[in-house]
Amino acid sequence: MASLDLLSDQGFRIDGRRPKELRKIQTKLGVFAQADGSAYIEQGNTKVLAAVYGPHEVRGGKSKVLHDKALLNCQYSMAVFSSGERKRRPRGDRKSMEMTQHLQQTFEAAILTHLYPKSQIDIFVEVLQSDGGNYCASVNAATLAVIDAGLPMKDYITACSASIVNDTPIVDINNFEESAGNLEILIAVLPKSSQIVFMEMNGKLHEDHLEKVIDMAMMGCSDVYDILDQSVRDHVSHLSSALCLNK
Amino acid sequence: MSSSSVVIPGQRICKVEEEHIAGIGTYVRNGFINSSLLGIVTFTPNKEDKQEVTVAHEREHSLVPTLGSLVTARVTNLNQRFCKCSILNVDGTNLIEPYSGIVRKEDVRATDKDKVEMYSSFRPGDIILARVLTYGDLQSFLLTTGENELGVVMATSEAGGSLVPISWNEMQCSKTGNKEYRKVARVQPRNVVINDG
Repeated sequence: MASLDLLSDQGFRIDGRRPKELRKIQTKLGVFAQADGSAYIEQGNTKVLAAVYGPHEVRGGKSKVLHDKALLNCQYSMAVFSSGERKRRPRGDRKSMEMTQHLQQTFEAAILTHLYPKSQIDIFVEVLQSDGGNYCASVNAATLAVIDAGLPMKDYITACSASIVNDTPIVDINNFEESAGNLEILIAVLPKSSQIVFMEMNGKLHEDHLEKVIDMAMMGCSDVYDILDQSVRDHVSHLSSALCLNK
Repeated sequence: MSSSSVVIPGQRICKVEEEHIAGIGTYVRNGFINSSLLGIVTFTPNKEDKQEVTVAHEREHSLVPTLGSLVTARVTNLNQRFCKCSILNVDGTNLIEPYSGIVRKEDVRATDKDKVEMYSSFRPGDIILARVLTYGDLQSFLLTTGENELGVVMATSEAGGSLVPISWNEMQCSKTGNKEYRKVARVQPRNVVINDG
C-alpha cells in the first residue's frame, strides 16, 4: 500500500523527515535590481522567484482602474523545465490561471491597497523547480518580495501545506507525497493574528481528521513565519548598517 | 541607530494613546499601532504635543496624488479643450513613475473661464504647478491651475531660450526678447523646491 511507504514504521517520511518537520528553507531578498522588490526562496527542492513592481499607473485599459484602492495584478508561471515533464507553455494554462487567482485573493487580504487608489501593483511569481507545495512557496516568496518593495501590508502572509498518512498528520508535503497520498490542504495565514486568509483542500478526508490536519498546517505556517522573519531581520541588519553610513 | 528601531510588517509598536498617533507606514488594530513596512520607526512630536509614529522604508515609495495636493507636472500635449501632462512631483516628493493628469480649459484660471485659450496658456514642455481637483472619471487626475500661485513656472520659447515671467499672462524669451502668452504662476517661495545636485 502506497500510504504505508509514505511513513515508515520508525516514523520517518519518504525524504527522511519526521511528520512535523518542514523542508529546509533558504531565502534571499532583493535579487533583482530592476524590480521594486524581489525575493527567492527554496523550500526543499521547490524553488521560486518573486518580483514586485509598483505602485504605478494602471496599464492595459482604463476599465481596470479602481477608484478606492490599488489594482493587484498577479502572474504565476512555471518555468518549462520546472517539473519532470517539460511543460508546453509556462503560463496561461488552467492551472496557472487558478493559481494566479489564488495569489491575488491571498494578497488582497494583507496589502493595504486602499493607500494607493487608481494605481496598480504587480506581483510576478516564477516557479523554477517544482517539488510540491508550489502555492506555499509562491506565497512565501511573494511576501518577502512585497516586504522588500516596501509596500505596506498588515502582516506577513505565510503558507504551508499538510496531509495525513495513517492517521498521522504530516506537514509541508513534497511532490511525491502530494501525488501518492490522497489529500492536500493548503493554508495561508496572517501569523500575528492567526487569521486564515486562504484555504484549499484537494482530495478526500474524514471529518474527524480535519482539525488535526488544519492544526498541523497552521503550525507549519507559524514555523515558516519564524524562518522568514529571521531572514528578513538578517537582510535588514546589513541594510540598517548601510543606512547608518548614508546618514 | 539601534537595531531595535527596525520593525517588520505586523509588528506591534505601541498602544494608541493620548500621546501617540499613527503616521505613515503604520496602521491601527485592536488599539495598537502596528508597522505595515519593513523599516525604521521614528517618533516625531507634532503640533498638539503628540508623538507621530512613522515607519520609513529604505526606498521612499512613490506617492499617489490625493485631493488637494500640489503637483509639479510637465505638459505633454495640448488641444483646444484640455491639456495632458505627466505629474512628476507630489507635495515635494519626486515620483518614480509619472502619473498622467489633465487640465481642462475651464480649470486653467479662476476668473474669465470662458475666455481661456489653451494655446495661450500652456505649451508642450512647460513645467507647471497645479493642484489635484478630483481623481477624474478617466484614467488621469484632474488638475487645476485656477490660483494665482499656480500655472507655468518654467518654459522654453519657440527660439529655444528660457522664458522669464513679466506679467500674469506673459513671459519673455531671454534670447530674442519675444513675448509669449502663458498662464504664469506667481511663485511663492514656499512652493518652490530647490533640488541641488
